[in-house]
Amino acid sequence: MASVAETVTPAPIVVHRHWWRGRLVQVTGIVALMYVAYRAWAIEYPWPNDLVWNSLSLHLDDFQVWLLTERGKEDQSIVFTVFEGFSSAIDHLVEWFNRLLLWLTWVGTTVAGVALIFRFGGLRAATIMLFAFAAFALTGLWEESMQTLALMLVSVGLSLLVGIPLGVAAGRSAGFRRAIAPVLDAMQIVPAFAYLMPVAILFSIGPAAAVVSTMIYAIPPAIRITALGVRGVPVSTVEAATSMGATRMQLIGKVQLPLARRMILLGVNQTILFALSMVVIAGLIGGGGLGAVVTSGLYSNPALAILAGLAIVIIAMALDRSTEAIAEQTDPAHRHLDETRKRRLRLQTLAIVGTIVAGVGISKAFGAAGAYPDEAGNPPHTATIEEWLLTKIQVVLDYVQDPTTWVFAITERVGIFILQQLLLPLQEFLMEAPWFTTVAGLTAIAFVVSGLRPALTTLAMLGSIGFTGIWALAMDTLSQVLVATAIAVAIGVVLGVLAAESNRFSKVMRPVNDLLQTLPQLVYIIPFIYLMPVSIVPGSVAGVLYAFPVTLRLVERGVRDVAPTSVEAASAFGASRRQVLTKVKLPLAGDAVMLGVNQAIIMVLALVVIGGLVGSGGLGYEVAQGLVRGQFGQGVIASVAILALGIALDRVTQGTRRSRKEGIA
Amino acid sequence: MKGTDAHNEKEDRMSVRGGWQGRVGLVGLALVAVTALAMSGSAFGGGVQSCGTVVINEQSWAGSTANTYVAKYVLEKRLGCKVKLTQVTEGPPYFQAMRDGKVDVALEDWDNTATKQAQPYLKDGSVRIIGSNGITGVIGWYIPRYLLKQYPAFKTWRGLKGKEAVFKSPESGSQGMFLGGDPSYVQKDRALIKGLGLNLKHVVAGAEPAQVARWSQLYKQKKPVLFYWYDPQYLNAQYDLYRVALPARFKGCQDDEKQGGDPKTYACEYPSYGLDKLISKKFATSGSPALTFVKKWKWTSADQNFVANLIAGKKMKPEKAAEQWVKANPGKVNAWLK
Repeated sequence: MASVAETVTPAPIVVHRHWWRGRLVQVTGIVALMYVAYRAWAIEYPWPNDLVWNSLSLHLDDFQVWLLTERGKEDQSIVFTVFEGFSSAIDHLVEWFNRLLLWLTWVGTTVAGVALIFRFGGLRAATIMLFAFAAFALTGLWEESMQTLALMLVSVGLSLLVGIPLGVAAGRSAGFRRAIAPVLDAMQIVPAFAYLMPVAILFSIGPAAAVVSTMIYAIPPAIRITALGVRGVPVSTVEAATSMGATRMQLIGKVQLPLARRMILLGVNQTILFALSMVVIAGLIGGGGLGAVVTSGLYSNPALAILAGLAIVIIAMALDRSTEAIAEQTDPAHRHLDETRKRRLRLQTLAIVGTIVAGVGISKAFGAAGAYPDEAGNPPHTATIEEWLLTKIQVVLDYVQDPTTWVFAITERVGIFILQQLLLPLQEFLMEAPWFTTVAGLTAIAFVVSGLRPALTTLAMLGSIGFTGIWALAMDTLSQVLVATAIAVAIGVVLGVLAAESNRFSKVMRPVNDLLQTLPQLVYIIPFIYLMPVSIVPGSVAGVLYAFPVTLRLVERGVRDVAPTSVEAASAFGASRRQVLTKVKLPLAGDAVMLGVNQAIIMVLALVVIGGLVGSGGLGYEVAQGLVRGQFGQGVIASVAILALGIALDRVTQGTRRSRKEGIA
Repeated sequence: MKGTDAHNEKEDRMSVRGGWQGRVGLVGLALVAVTALAMSGSAFGGGVQSCGTVVINEQSWAGSTANTYVAKYVLEKRLGCKVKLTQVTEGPPYFQAMRDGKVDVALEDWDNTATKQAQPYLKDGSVRIIGSNGITGVIGWYIPRYLLKQYPAFKTWRGLKGKEAVFKSPESGSQGMFLGGDPSYVQKDRALIKGLGLNLKHVVAGAEPAQVARWSQLYKQKKPVLFYWYDPQYLNAQYDLYRVALPARFKGCQDDEKQGGDPKTYACEYPSYGLDKLISKKFATSGSPALTFVKKWKWTSADQNFVANLIAGKKMKPEKAAEQWVKANPGKVNAWLK
């Protein structure tokens, strides 16, 4: 059971203490006691029925019915009228965008999009945009892609509109930051499946509900990373500005925002990727577009689901690269306009407008409106590109689904090994140990690692999980989450440091990260089950693959942002590259690294539902079942338990953050 | 309606901005629209309202795709309707969509109307059941037929007793593995296993594609597997499966294991489900000719499996598959249009 101890506590820095007072030793001791209790009383003490509030799920069901009847009343309350107004505004905005994109025809939209990006973002971004539009047209998914693009432009725009100002506020005020932290955790961890139904009732099925659900998930990274950036602005600079008489608005606009620029751009990038990772779920409540293609494709044509999944990734990358390029070009720091440049830009603008009008006009005149390259004529070479791609993907799928290949012989054994040696023992230990020793043990670990208050929070969280009657399921999920998080953090930190040290590696990893964060997990995990046909393992793999890119990015950004003066000083004292990294860069990047760990926990938990859909069972399956089988209460309870696990895990890891800070001081 | 008006205005403005080409195009469009309206009007005699747009909800499984595209094809080609497809997930989400007038028709509901959360929608009439789609849904415990050669007794659940270890898997320990179904499907297997006193471990495989991955991999290796499955399902044409007989239904036998209680009360086979067509209140009162069509629309498991297999098995485009079936079955199609 040593693995538990290791996952919970990264080795603390112990200097002048007796060996038995070391945290690692104490935690190991607690786990050993828990293990003894498990050996002695396995299965004898499940969570007692007397300590369960059985009617809770019925009350929650009643709440949903109440919401429904209130919303349906003739004389509905003003609150619902406001919701309706908001939702019809969003519906119209998305629809209008979508119709505009379709009205322009695929040629027109491509010309307009590429020209606009060229004007504001430069040649490289425009090329990427052109590639993206070409991909949508050639894969026969143009209409679906435009629908998703319209939905995402609105979602991302609104998320940033809300997220960045709140992030600035959180970066400037520690009180505000503490106040919203749990809200942000909840927004990211509580599975969308739990709130899809209330959102659908309030905002009606359609684009508005899809946008709202996407925003709930995509706003937190915008806030968090912006706050991190604003906080990272050196205190001395802020003081200097204040002493020169800068007003608050000047301070924000001229000092803090420009200096936090790089971090904020990472926030924009993450907001885009988080939003795009919601496309499939948004598709379940009327978002339509590529999400719906993925879902129905999974059941009847997996190759098509993969193609649509890749189109989602392409949208994400195109949006990300173009916003980045636009931000880069309009950066006041690099932009010194003299008269000739200004004139040239004006001419350029005119030329671009001309191109767009001409492109749209010509494509409308030649009736390209309804014709797509994949359908045009019979049989031009473009007509077969979609089919060609689908057959190629199908070949790979067929290979994957063949249990007689040598690949399968290896992967199946690996899967069985991981399941039987790692996941099942841990699962059994947590599920079958007496409930009181587990509660006491985990609380004690939180106390040893983080202190009294986090320990009390942990106790409360565990208590509430048991009280709502899903102790065993929660322990099942906890065992999987522990393993996946530990692996994701390890991969993320190592690759993050590598990416910070080597530009080439960073360039290679970036598209990989984008892919892993936005490709709908089911699209690649279901083929993966064919290779590793055992439960739990595929779900854990999905969790690791979704979580480590975030850790990687935050660690990379953090290590890169370490002030060069500190590094130079260390080098001047003769520190080796490795010493500089471990003794200077990593400790100084501590905040970003810890946010990386926190985000890894959150991302793994965010995938618990996906895990439930690919055989991990536990809370995720309950949540998924709650949405569709009309068991709202069950879904909410399981979702809140996932959140409670998240908070408890965060509190346990929190302690190391403090000790590290003390170490630096 | 407001939405479309606003949109048209926008579109008009944009076309005007586009210059004379836009204007000519607009006039042309208007002409086409008028002729189309006149033609569709004359085709169905004076009194009948023109069809307008019908929104059909397509569910995730292949059978539903088959229903939807065949109905779409006939509505568009024979009744001149405009059909929009949505993919709202089943259960409360699509009930809500019907209530808000965003979805008109769902052609295959597997008993979602029996859940507690469905009652408010049925009670206020915003969702209406308008009869069966002709298909009887069957749910049960399935095994590959090749197993019967070695274990003929597996034809009934009694034969499984004592032989559960045949279905051992990496995660089931000494017990046999029972692969559970998609979280969105009706299930009571945990209670059933307990009620029948079988030494099986219920393993959730997740969503249907994930479950298929598990059992089809074992099937291809000719290994034993016991799982939750149903019919009609296009894969039943590709894999030779056998439904294990469970105890017959008795009075008071329960099906929703979430209700709890004595497992013995669940120890009977699943009921057969008459799959229902659902329509929204808005559509029911619209007087559209599509309404009569939807009311009459029904077909058989064999029909659905044929089309679903073209789509999911042979990877044909749904539109093409629907066209092929419609052309081969003029009698059935005409019966829907009478």
